[in-house]
Amino acid sequence: MIRHNVPADFEPKIIGFLCNWCSYAGADKAGTAQLAYPPNIHVVRVMCSGRVDPQFVLQAYHKGADGVLILACHPGDCHYKEGNYRTAQRNRLLRLLLGQFGIEEERCRFDYVSAGEGDRFARIVTDMVESLKRLGPLATNHNRKES
Amino acid sequence: MRVGVYFCNCGTNIAGKIDPKQVKARLGDMPDVDYFETCGFLCSEDGKRFLAEDIRSREPDRVVIAACSPRDHEANFMRVLESAGLNPYLFQMANIREQVAWVTSDPERALSKGVSAIRSAIARVRLHEPLEKQKLDIVPNVLVIGAGPAGLKAALTLAAADRRVVLVEKDPVIGGKPVRYEELFPAMECAPCMLEPLMGNVFHGELADRVELLTQTEVVEVTGYYGNFIVKLSQQPRHVDPVQCIGCGECVAVCPANAPNEFNCGMSDRKAIDFPFAGALPYAPYLDHQTCIRDRGDDCRLCKDACPLGPDIIDLDAGELVKERNVGAIIVATGSGLYDCSAMSNLGYGRLPDVYTSYEFERILSSTGPTGGELVTKEGKLPGSVAIIHCVGSLDEAYQPYCSGVCCQYAFKYDHLLRSRHPDIRITHLYRHLVLPGKDGTSLYREAVTSHAVDLIRYENISDISLCSCNSGNGGTIISTGQQDKLNADLVILCPAITAAPGADTLAEVLDVSRDRWGFFEELHGRLDAAQSKLKGVYLAGTCQAPMDIQQAMQQGMAAAGYVLAGLVPGRKLEIEPITAAVQTDRCGGCRVCIAVCPYKATGFDEESRKSAVNPVLCHGCGTCVAACPAGAMEGHHFTSAEITAELEAALG
Repeated sequence: MIRHNVPADFEPKIIGFLCNWCSYAGADKAGTAQLAYPPNIHVVRVMCSGRVDPQFVLQAYHKGADGVLILACHPGDCHYKEGNYRTAQRNRLLRLLLGQFGIEEERCRFDYVSAGEGDRFARIVTDMVESLKRLGPLATNHNRKES
Repeated sequence: MRVGVYFCNCGTNIAGKIDPKQVKARLGDMPDVDYFETCGFLCSEDGKRFLAEDIRSREPDRVVIAACSPRDHEANFMRVLESAGLNPYLFQMANIREQVAWVTSDPERALSKGVSAIRSAIARVRLHEPLEKQKLDIVPNVLVIGAGPAGLKAALTLAAADRRVVLVEKDPVIGGKPVRYEELFPAMECAPCMLEPLMGNVFHGELADRVELLTQTEVVEVTGYYGNFIVKLSQQPRHVDPVQCIGCGECVAVCPANAPNEFNCGMSDRKAIDFPFAGALPYAPYLDHQTCIRDRGDDCRLCKDACPLGPDIIDLDAGELVKERNVGAIIVATGSGLYDCSAMSNLGYGRLPDVYTSYEFERILSSTGPTGGELVTKEGKLPGSVAIIHCVGSLDEAYQPYCSGVCCQYAFKYDHLLRSRHPDIRITHLYRHLVLPGKDGTSLYREAVTSHAVDLIRYENISDISLCSCNSGNGGTIISTGQQDKLNADLVILCPAITAAPGADTLAEVLDVSRDRWGFFEELHGRLDAAQSKLKGVYLAGTCQAPMDIQQAMQQGMAAAGYVLAGLVPGRKLEIEPITAAVQTDRCGGCRVCIAVCPYKATGFDEESRKSAVNPVLCHGCGTCVAACPAGAMEGHHFTSAEITAELEAALG
């Protein structure tokens, strides 16, 4: 992992995988409440967080994401009963793998946001943007070729 | 490929922050974009009409709508597309209102984020495939398992909507547990009287011809799925024709064989041929093999000869009947069990003479019970003092950590009944927590706490309580609570936790539905769908799902019937949402990971081909199996890996 000096105008790119029933609705809730948060996130809607194949996360980094956010229903609230538990299980393994790749833990965040938690969604995105700004761009081979 | 992009201004909600002209300019490099249209309010009637006409005249291959959240209007726009002759799945929304315009302060950055969202939607929609809803014929008939309050309510509700119902009950009597109680909280309503109209309707009311009641019957095999189950039922012989029998009891009087009556918890005896209890419905005795001396080689036929209606009413040689029924849905209403109090040896249940469970005490209070409703100790005396121990096995991490929810209320019902029948009686409640929810929940409690004859003592832990018999020779029980003075009680009532019914494990296996960690049938969702199991087409009503009172059980019976009526409509085909998983068989290695992760048992294994298969009727489309498949053999329709990858690549591009 090569650490760059972070350029002052660095704007991290985040891919957010949000489940349709809780987290995506939570993100919509932030909208209806007109809660401003940094626009650095692109939300990919999936029906259930259980659909988030760890390969999507790796592809996101490979294609230039500085961070990946996976948001699920709170434990016990999954629309599909236990998809969020599967994601949580996979996420633990994925973090080990990312560590071996030298990708910092803060670049992959797994959290829970319910349909009512617009403020929580906005806070998570804001926090993540701030921490990624401190970390700087993710220097994968792909990125280095471009820079 | 020609993609049509529609940009909804949403008045100024979107266009006030994101300028559509600039968006259009920034999409110019995308070769597949055929045209870009703006509209004031695309969701308005005018907007939808414009959309339909525009799609009809321009005939795009794919459509992207940049507007509000798909959670708002995706379904509406899909209907418009369908009406315009375009497959509704060849469409993607870009959420530029809730997730861009409304949450981004800087207009320049809002424009960039909006453009990025639209570009990703275009990249994704290019890969969309037309999907069709599968349509299946359904059987509108319903199997209801269990003829207690919840099952009766469900069966009669369905029958009232002209559905044919097969109502099976494993006991020879219907009405569940409450029909065996004398009076109910909170208003001391007579339980059999309350249930009689429901039970009567099953036998001879206007709905009776639509309900096929099978007593002494259990479900032994279920095949098929939602909309079309084949159920195999095994009916044990009653040996008495319940339709022709007039219930005179001549056969009972002459029967020479006796056994403890399980309907009175063994506190009284019954004959081999007998009524479960007075007033039990169907109003006909049943013959119990295990008690009958014919089963031990005797050629007794006293009952048959005694029948005043002739030799055709009692059939001593009847055997098990296996019946098959075709139903579209199954409602489980099999009730619950009670925590086995003998597991707590400190409470003396089964060891001390006058220690009863609440269920036994209900039978003692009942005019159809072992004492005809008379309250007497084993020594034949009227008890001067009664102790009621709440929370036996409930709210206790060592036993069942949940609150059973009804015990406090029936405990104060006992309190009320005992004091009104025997004004000199003293009552002590020993409780861990008092839980009295609902608008009528505290009425009996308030009455008890204002009475001088009633004491309430809180205990910390049930293991602090110990019961032993009085040595004074006057009978009775001494109760140590660990903190207070010892107290004496002539009769003790234990309020055990409500637990899963015995046999729930076998039934769950037959139905292939899951149970929760306590053994109750597991609901699809605790709040949204508590009357639905995780298996499509199997619904839950009453205490088979969780501890609850009669009111809740009745409501759940209605709710389960509601699911069936809404989902299975005669003449209407069952529409299967196309957003499901599907196995690409050439890639499947047969590892069965998909089967392990599916919460709906929608994935199965074909032994012949050694590959997995998805039943689209049962699949809910969550995609968990798709992400889990190590071979990439599982594909999630409308959320394919290629579509998701295309979206995120375009967003990062």
